[in-house]
Amino acid sequence: MISLDHLTKRYGDRVAVDDLTLRLRPGAVTGFLGPNGAGKSTTMRMILGLDRPTAGRALVGGRPYHELTNPLRTVGALLDARAVHPGRSVRAHLVALVRGNGIPKARVGEVLETVGLGAVAGKRAGTLSLGMSQRLGIAGALLGDPEVLMFDEPVNGLDPDGVRWVRRLMRTLAGEGRTVFVSSHLMSEMQLTADHLVVIGKGRLLADAPLGEVLAATAVLVRTPHAGDLAARLTAAGIAVERRGENELVATGAPIERVGDLAHEAGVRLHELSPREPSLEQAYQELTADSVEYGSAR
Amino acid sequence: MNLTSVTWPVAAEWTKLWSVRSTFWCLTGTVAVTVLSAVALGGSRATDLVRDGVTAARLPATESVVSASTFAQLVMVTLGMLAITSEYATGSIRGTLQAVPIRGRMLAAKALVVAPVMFATGVLAGGLAAVATYLLLSVPVFGGFVTLDAGEAVVDLLRLGVFAALVSLMALGVGTALRGAAGALTVMFMLLFGLPLVLLMTGSQVAVEASMRLPMFAGLAFMESADNLTGGPIPYPPGEGLAWLLGWTAAALAAGHAVLRRRDA
Repeated sequence: MISLDHLTKRYGDRVAVDDLTLRLRPGAVTGFLGPNGAGKSTTMRMILGLDRPTAGRALVGGRPYHELTNPLRTVGALLDARAVHPGRSVRAHLVALVRGNGIPKARVGEVLETVGLGAVAGKRAGTLSLGMSQRLGIAGALLGDPEVLMFDEPVNGLDPDGVRWVRRLMRTLAGEGRTVFVSSHLMSEMQLTADHLVVIGKGRLLADAPLGEVLAATAVLVRTPHAGDLAARLTAAGIAVERRGENELVATGAPIERVGDLAHEAGVRLHELSPREPSLEQAYQELTADSVEYGSAR
Repeated sequence: MNLTSVTWPVAAEWTKLWSVRSTFWCLTGTVAVTVLSAVALGGSRATDLVRDGVTAARLPATESVVSASTFAQLVMVTLGMLAITSEYATGSIRGTLQAVPIRGRMLAAKALVVAPVMFATGVLAGGLAAVATYLLLSVPVFGGFVTLDAGEAVVDLLRLGVFAALVSLMALGVGTALRGAAGALTVMFMLLFGLPLVLLMTGSQVAVEASMRLPMFAGLAFMESADNLTGGPIPYPPGEGLAWLLGWTAAALAAGHAVLRRRDA
């Protein structure tokens, strides 16, 4: 289990990670979302003891990373798939990792099969495609059969098959009771993979909630010939309503089921009841609208 | 702390060292430069003796080998330097530190691999250089002054091995402190070669004394070189030369360790 306690990282005047307090649950995939430069990778590096926090601390299983004996057996992480010596063979890269932590060498063959790189074990890492490099990085994370797994943008460069494979792998790992922490800028991906979402912007925590809750907070598009009646009913129920024209309205702050139930109670015929797609994308944009570090001018 | 907390990281570094081609280039380079410089220096020395009309002289082959360290040292540094700078260049340092998060232990593991490998390479390179020099200078045109005494040779070669190990550790320390190969190589070149020569050329008493304490001349003192850029023996005993070498090595590793502990990876 990972816990962050007022974790903060400053580079001079710039705050990369701002007072982050979190607890990651085992047995679930926690999606870590945020715009570029939001502090996701810095947070992961601090958890791994690579970067020193300016304040606060990150603990793995109640201990700072550097106090773990044979850390690869506790935490497996993929930070940057290209951060491998290009001249070293795929197998040698993994063998060096298992030797460093006293993991049986047979694990190398096992994980290579798991990630589907068995056929290229003898090839130099520098000759791999980005997708294959991602698989090699994931293989490295799996070597020690760890309880905690962290992946920074693991589906980058993967083909659709690869993406589906990573999705299944994350679900399987979480299903085995492990703590899985995945960052991604692909919101749609998180919608399919994550149980729980942590959203940050400019280093600050914006949301830390189950996926369902974040989705529930998103907008529901309703098309109905009785838009006026329904709007009144929803407003009375404390749901924010935005009229979109004669027959359309957007309700925010309630799950889609509740909007439908209220319409039914009011005897309002519906022509469409849909989450404003892509809903997580929307929720995410609303959450991070003010905190985009490198946004383009609009 | 148990034994495996040292042996496992060492095993990892050992695997990494032997799984990249640059290792073979570094080692082959060390051997090649040592052999070629020793042969060239020995040949030039013998030619001088012949030209000066000397009829009886003793020219130990290993003396040329020891002198060759002046040039060979510049290749000896590459292995120790690359052991760390290649990790920063590729970003693989992060994977390394994930497996071995205690940074001093990671650096120690690299040192424990680099030092013995360079010791063995130094001895091997010296041995090959001694044989090559002996064979060449045995040709009558070189006056037949060359000697190769086993007892003498063993001592010289072991010392050359120690010198190779220590300069490669110095490079490991400097590489760890600077992270980039370009900077580390520049610093090592200045420390090993540029600086002592500049100081020597000033001719000032203080500068010459200082240059004698830099690694190159300290190494030549340790190896009891009779023939080097100063034109004669280094004016202090071998033990003191070894002490200076150890001091420089310790300082470089300490600097590397200090940076490694403080900076983000």
